[in-house]
Amino acid sequence: MTNELLEVKNLCTTFATAGGDLRAVDNVSFTLGADETLGIVGESGSGKTVLARTIMGLQARRNATVAGSVKINGAEVIGTSEQQKREIWGTEVAMIFQDPMTSLNPVMRIGHQVDETLRIRMGMSKDEAKKRAIELLGLVGIPSPEERYDVFPSELSGGMRQRVVIATALACSPKLVLADEPTTGLDVTIQAQILNLLDELKEKLKMSVVLITHDLGVVATRTSRIIVMYAGRIVEIGSTQDIFKEHRMPYTRALLESAPKVSNPSHTRLVTIAGRPPNLLALENGCAFAPRCTYATEKCHNERPVLEATGNDGHMFACWNPLTTRRGEV
Amino acid sequence: MTNKNRFTTLFSRFGSGTDQTDTIMKPEKKPPLGTMFWVSVGWVCLNIFLAITANLLPLKDPIAQDYNAISVGPSMHYLLGTDDIGRDILSRIIFGSRISIAVSFGAMFIAFGIGAPAAMLAALRRGRFDTILTTVMYSLLAFPAIIATISVLSFWVPRNLLKVIVVIGIASTPLVYRVIRTASLAVAGRDFVTAAKVQGATDRRILIKEILPNIMPILLSFLLIGIASVVALEGALAFLGLSITPPTPSWGNMINESRTVMSTNPGLVIFPSLALCLFILSLNFIGDRLRNYFDVAEVKI
Repeated sequence: MTNELLEVKNLCTTFATAGGDLRAVDNVSFTLGADETLGIVGESGSGKTVLARTIMGLQARRNATVAGSVKINGAEVIGTSEQQKREIWGTEVAMIFQDPMTSLNPVMRIGHQVDETLRIRMGMSKDEAKKRAIELLGLVGIPSPEERYDVFPSELSGGMRQRVVIATALACSPKLVLADEPTTGLDVTIQAQILNLLDELKEKLKMSVVLITHDLGVVATRTSRIIVMYAGRIVEIGSTQDIFKEHRMPYTRALLESAPKVSNPSHTRLVTIAGRPPNLLALENGCAFAPRCTYATEKCHNERPVLEATGNDGHMFACWNPLTTRRGEV
Repeated sequence: MTNKNRFTTLFSRFGSGTDQTDTIMKPEKKPPLGTMFWVSVGWVCLNIFLAITANLLPLKDPIAQDYNAISVGPSMHYLLGTDDIGRDILSRIIFGSRISIAVSFGAMFIAFGIGAPAAMLAALRRGRFDTILTTVMYSLLAFPAIIATISVLSFWVPRNLLKVIVVIGIASTPLVYRVIRTASLAVAGRDFVTAAKVQGATDRRILIKEILPNIMPILLSFLLIGIASVVALEGALAFLGLSITPPTPSWGNMINESRTVMSTNPGLVIFPSLALCLFILSLNFIGDRLRNYFDVAEVKI
């Protein structure tokens, strides 16, 4: 398993809150190979962002405790010092943040934000870094990058800013990029542009991408594998094909059904998932989705399902009453 | 500004926060700072210039006494008149400004030199370091600075310029710490700081490149207001006889000395008070104006 780029094993992130311990990421394990794109989907509050931050080695909050192991290119992240993490940050793993409005320094020229990393991490001279920064800005599709090098973020639109954020993250050619809802703050046409750009760069720069989103449409065509998270746990994991066509977990189906379809006649009521995401401080013993699940039985409320493999390679789900597939398998 | 212009400015400002079109916007022009701002800047610069070059100017000796001109009013020979022992008031005001300016700049240099880096680091690191430092600083803040400076300066004799600067500087540090920490906290929590961190930037780099430029408007305006308050504080201390020892003039001790002859020689109290007042007013005005100016930019971001 050492040839995997990212290896997450039994990862748990727990916040000590006034109401008790809150487990935002619960026993998550998965691996990611080189040049692979992995989608992580789930509702708000399902632990996606905390998972990404934990993988980065960023402590989300002061009251957080992390258990388990995260290996990036063989190097352990959990429990290492900030100095050791700085070794891999930027060069091995980079992160693209949700909101391009806040992830750029408002008083620094965009060119400097890109070449800053080049200078401190790659030891480039001022001129070399500037040249490379302009190249990168061009690479992410910023028109006339030489001129844009000197503008401030407030002079750019959201889409352009997100391009700059991407250029900054990719400056030191990381092998792994964690993109935490990179298109949430943008409108739909720009979303597609940014996602296509990420895809293109992934091919060009030979890197792996973890794409975190709540939008299944975003991951449908761009990922090779998908993880579905619910209440901090992985409830289903498999190839994109399996998740869309042969999902076994009722939650995955509910998520898929709640996406509006173009083929629906107008004024069709949007499908919602009944109930609300569970309170992580008061989880039942059983499946966290059971209270909202139409298929739930006595067992679902009392016993927690474990990830179970299906016949398909790498496809696993955690459910006592899995859906039957098109082929009628149980 | 024409009506149409105002509308487009308003509109684009509205839009820039949520703008989602994939285009490049034109930079907006900031509103001007106004004439009063530049008059104030001019006045402060003039004061500083005169204080620095006082020795080179054709001024009378500020401590030389002219027994032939005791308590005379303004004349060609003594532009602002003389005091009750025949010293030139104009010369004393200009030489006195040296003390006020040296004390205020020096004290703020110390207060910001200690307070600002500590506050920024505390805001970035948080945790125990922040808790301990903030508790200590806030405890010091609970003790009135003026009482502290008065008591230290009355025991620490003989007084000289350096001691006055150090005492006021240290007494102002907690206040600087509080303001800068609050400002830094707001910046340190934003994504671009985390982004810089995960690009491998060290704490030092984050402080200098990410946090400091973003708190600069607050730091600058607070620095100016700080200088103004120290000029006033030094005036108060001098008035109580706790600053520089006479006969070296300072605005505060000139006002103090003139107290007794106020009714017979009003110029002696009016002119130094006016100098003190205008200098503080100008500094406050600059600080205030700058803060507003930068606030506008903040909204756009």
